[in-house]
Amino acid sequence: MQECFLLNNQQHVGLQKLSALSATSHSFLGPIKKYKFIQDDTSGESTLVCSSFRIIESLDLTCAVGQLVYETLRSHHGVYHTGCGCLLFLAGAWSRAALECLQKGIPVAHIMSAMSEGMDVCAEVCRKCAIPAESIHSVMVEPITEATAHQIDGKTLNIRERRKLKLSRHFFQDSTQLPPTRQPEFDVPQIAKGLHHGSDISMKLAIEAFRILSDNRASTFDISKVLTCMLPALPEHHSTVVQGCIVLLAVEQALIARRLEEQHLNVALIMGDLSDSYRHLGFTRPKGLQRISDGVASSSREEEWIEAVVSLLVKLQVKLILISGRACENVIQRCCRHQILIVEKLKPSVLMILADSTRAIPVTYPTQLGKDCIGTGAKVTLWKEISSPEGKSTAAVNICSGGDIRLVTVVITGCVQGKLPILEDQFWASAFRLHNALKDGSVLPGAGHTEILCVHHLLKVVTNDQRSKRNPYTNVVLHLMADGLIDYISTVLMNTGRFSKVEARTIISQQVQNYREHPDMLLGVAQLLHLEGGATSPEERAHLDVYDNLSVKLEAWRKALDLVFLVLQTDAEIVTGVAPETDAKQQT
Amino acid sequence: MSRLVKKSPSICTDQPLDNADIRNKLKLLEQLLRSCYGPKARLKHLHNNIGGHVVTTSASSLLLPALSSSQPLIHLIKTSIHNHISRFSDCGLFAAILCLSLIEHAQQSGLRRNRVIIVNKHLLTACITYLQQEDCDCKVKMDFCSTQSLLTLAHSIISSKPACVLTESERFHMSKLAVQAFLLTVPCSSPGTLHFGRTVTVSVEGQCVLKSAVFPGLMVHMPNDFDFSEIHNPSHPLKVVLFSASLAGDLPELVDRVMEVHPGVDTDSQILELLLDVCKQVVKDDVKLFVCQKVIHPVVQHYLRSHGVIVVERLGITLMEPLTTLTGAQPVAMLQSAVTFTSYGQVSDLSIKQFGDKKLLHLQPVGESAISTMVLCHRNETMMSELKVVWQTAEHVLRLALREPSALHGGGCTETHLAAYIRHKSMNEKAELASALRCSQTEFLRGVDVFCRSLESVAKSLEHDGGNSYMDLTYAHHWINPADSTQDCLQSTLGFCGCGLLNSSTSNKWNHLQKEHAEFAPASMCRNNPVQPRVLDSFTAKLNALQVAVETANLALDVRFIIHDVN
Repeated sequence: MQECFLLNNQQHVGLQKLSALSATSHSFLGPIKKYKFIQDDTSGESTLVCSSFRIIESLDLTCAVGQLVYETLRSHHGVYHTGCGCLLFLAGAWSRAALECLQKGIPVAHIMSAMSEGMDVCAEVCRKCAIPAESIHSVMVEPITEATAHQIDGKTLNIRERRKLKLSRHFFQDSTQLPPTRQPEFDVPQIAKGLHHGSDISMKLAIEAFRILSDNRASTFDISKVLTCMLPALPEHHSTVVQGCIVLLAVEQALIARRLEEQHLNVALIMGDLSDSYRHLGFTRPKGLQRISDGVASSSREEEWIEAVVSLLVKLQVKLILISGRACENVIQRCCRHQILIVEKLKPSVLMILADSTRAIPVTYPTQLGKDCIGTGAKVTLWKEISSPEGKSTAAVNICSGGDIRLVTVVITGCVQGKLPILEDQFWASAFRLHNALKDGSVLPGAGHTEILCVHHLLKVVTNDQRSKRNPYTNVVLHLMADGLIDYISTVLMNTGRFSKVEARTIISQQVQNYREHPDMLLGVAQLLHLEGGATSPEERAHLDVYDNLSVKLEAWRKALDLVFLVLQTDAEIVTGVAPETDAKQQT
Repeated sequence: MSRLVKKSPSICTDQPLDNADIRNKLKLLEQLLRSCYGPKARLKHLHNNIGGHVVTTSASSLLLPALSSSQPLIHLIKTSIHNHISRFSDCGLFAAILCLSLIEHAQQSGLRRNRVIIVNKHLLTACITYLQQEDCDCKVKMDFCSTQSLLTLAHSIISSKPACVLTESERFHMSKLAVQAFLLTVPCSSPGTLHFGRTVTVSVEGQCVLKSAVFPGLMVHMPNDFDFSEIHNPSHPLKVVLFSASLAGDLPELVDRVMEVHPGVDTDSQILELLLDVCKQVVKDDVKLFVCQKVIHPVVQHYLRSHGVIVVERLGITLMEPLTTLTGAQPVAMLQSAVTFTSYGQVSDLSIKQFGDKKLLHLQPVGESAISTMVLCHRNETMMSELKVVWQTAEHVLRLALREPSALHGGGCTETHLAAYIRHKSMNEKAELASALRCSQTEFLRGVDVFCRSLESVAKSLEHDGGNSYMDLTYAHHWINPADSTQDCLQSTLGFCGCGLLNSSTSNKWNHLQKEHAEFAPASMCRNNPVQPRVLDSFTAKLNALQVAVETANLALDVRFIIHDVN
């Protein structure tokens, strides 16, 4: 039994769905975002969202296209943590382009080959206009566009400028003049400043985290050593970065923590739960086990177990237990009596880092603990006490390891509980943007620069193109693709609230036009906004430089196009499974 | 209280193929499968009605199982095609479309069914005889002295599924890897019986396709970090032990039974003692790699690690066999007895390879072993799962090519050529053949037409964008004219034929496919033609698909009644 929907080619339903899905996240593009509430009618619960990934994640999408979109966004978010908005928007914009092509009667194969060609053009533009990260310094020379490289032939070039030029193929032969390869030195705060994309506060936190982790010297940002801790009920500007691992503890636990302050502690790490009944993953409990008691009821097995564990801990002089799961109430109480601090629900990755730095070996069962598994040199400090009006106060405790491996916690505060996950997402997005930029070793000119350059080059291919006998539709398709990119920048511009969509489109078209005539006069969105405000001097403009991630952008574009291709090529949806009371085999 | 319900009588359908409902269903199935055929195919989203996982595909091996039907005729066709796919991996859609098309054309011709069946049988034999002849014109010999024909074959298969969304360079990379992996599985020179090796695939999502690679040896997932400094580049082979029994410390065989124990007895710790005893022996025997198909108790893992043993758990049943072959170890299935010395295996080296965020432990065999690992990378899950299907088909087809070192012209050229050949041959020998088959000459020729039209219609379904299919009247190859070009400059718009062997200057007369034309003898290609076809199909798979299609169609045409028990 299945249903088979044959989709009308001219009105490709799949592409329409893709475009509709993408429209849900238009307001999240650009530095100025608007929040959205998602409400569940059945349960009455609602969620506050502010990113494309979260909105698609929260919507319960049962349609095939919806699932494809979610799958793509999830895998992109998992790797990059940023760029999902761009991905989803372009998937929508390009699916509209594909739809328009279909309506013009262009065969699918031609649409695909032309769009792939367009993608290659864009990728080439990105590679050419990428700015090496080491050339970004607090004193910027001028915004770099492709054209500037051609203009400075005659001048004597300083090293920094020369490095910039090696990206142009005209200068590429000149390898003898290039400085020898050495560890690049990045002006990280300056790079980060260009990458904040509207979330200024979270980028400051990311820079601070980077500084603590590496003293600004390293050229990579090790994101795995960064944790976040959410602290409700404090104003947002109280967010801060602390070296060590901050966890929230109940007040009884905090008391022990206070007593343990200023001591070098022995630490045990446990992967799993700390309870008698816990068994490792993959263990099958025998169901038919019957215990035949001989009448004399001794103390319960749990008691015995706790007794054994606690005496082992005391013997090993363990003062701190870090667990990835939970601990049972009885164990916590008994440990309290012996002044042993238990910290629950830590991430396994954090436990592994702490294991490295304290030389402890994580175990699954406390009975496994021996001298060799115990770490040394851990420190506990009471970082902040937070009392709530109901009298149930909590304390934030900092766990530090004595070793040279550093761990950084970003404490995110906010008065509105529902907004905390959004702030956390924003922090991670900023941190990953910085991480990706350092990993790529280069950034793209942001604020729509790259897109305008791509539009320009796509249109240039259209006007120059006389060769393509093979695919007579290349021009139409590339034009529509460029339109998609213009749509993207103009939506960003519109979201700032200063322009209507039509005005934004006009401005962008003018920019593309201007660039054709004066290639050195390209302005980004940020500068455009500032122009409105009256600041025009080049120095001031330089301060407004905005960057994008190279690999993230390319990957997001590529994935958006993949989505469009998959949906474009699909002409039917086959739903299997027994439909109630329907015996017909297929319904067209 | 018992209740008797009167049995309802069975429903009998007379001449099921004349039933409009059944014909509609067959028609729909044909349309559906036709639209999935070839490198420009349309894809299908497959999912169940409760919002299950969505598969986007055009592969028959995934499509056919998803199309469930209560109609026995459809079920019959589906099952026989599915059997073909499970044996040969390739040409499933070809078989299905040909079969449905034969049924459809037989219906339209108005011939008596037994006549159609007799003619079909005869023509099938004629086709097979022709294809197996040395001088068959749509066949090329696989030349194992160079990789060219292998590469072309692999490339044709990898290009045939558009849901992989590969660029030309990625396709080339994948076909290169397919051939490389195939060559790694071919044993070099060992006396006695030769065995094919095996390629194990590991998939890594979120990476660029060009990062895919083939490695000799086996790669297994490695969740934990391990310090490799002490065992890297060992001077002598490392000892390996392999457990197929669960080392989780539970009693899985006792799950459903009742066991009575004294409260003082701790079964868990007693089992753990037993496990540790086994491990002590293993450590004493200087084993360096400890692998278990299932879960290993954390205490055991801890014990082994602290003695410098590398532990791999949850290997899974699929990797057990290749690992046994690679290391020569005997999997230990029992814990009650001691591990015998003969059950240990060996590896020559271990290393860690990183793909994205996945860490893989690379095991290298001591001698030459036929196990290799293919690491498949793709950007997302949907495209990855299709790539896996394609990859398996390519692997299988290359292996089939070793058994029968031939390939057929792809791109529909074999079908059109075969049709032209059959038409010509039947026309020449119509009198003798008709009397031998005990039918009139007209009936015979109409039967031939049914068969040839069906073959041609398969070639025709390669085009999905409204283009026209042509056949040249010299070599009888298949040509596609894109929808947007005009008839008057046919020669300049056609470019190359389906298999890429001919370009449009080699012929000057084309005919619309399936349009009446005077029969002709397809000309022989020059034997030492330096040009090689760009698209090749598996010979063995296609030959079998042809047989399956014709025989299934004959069977379906032979069905007189369907009796359906509705109780």
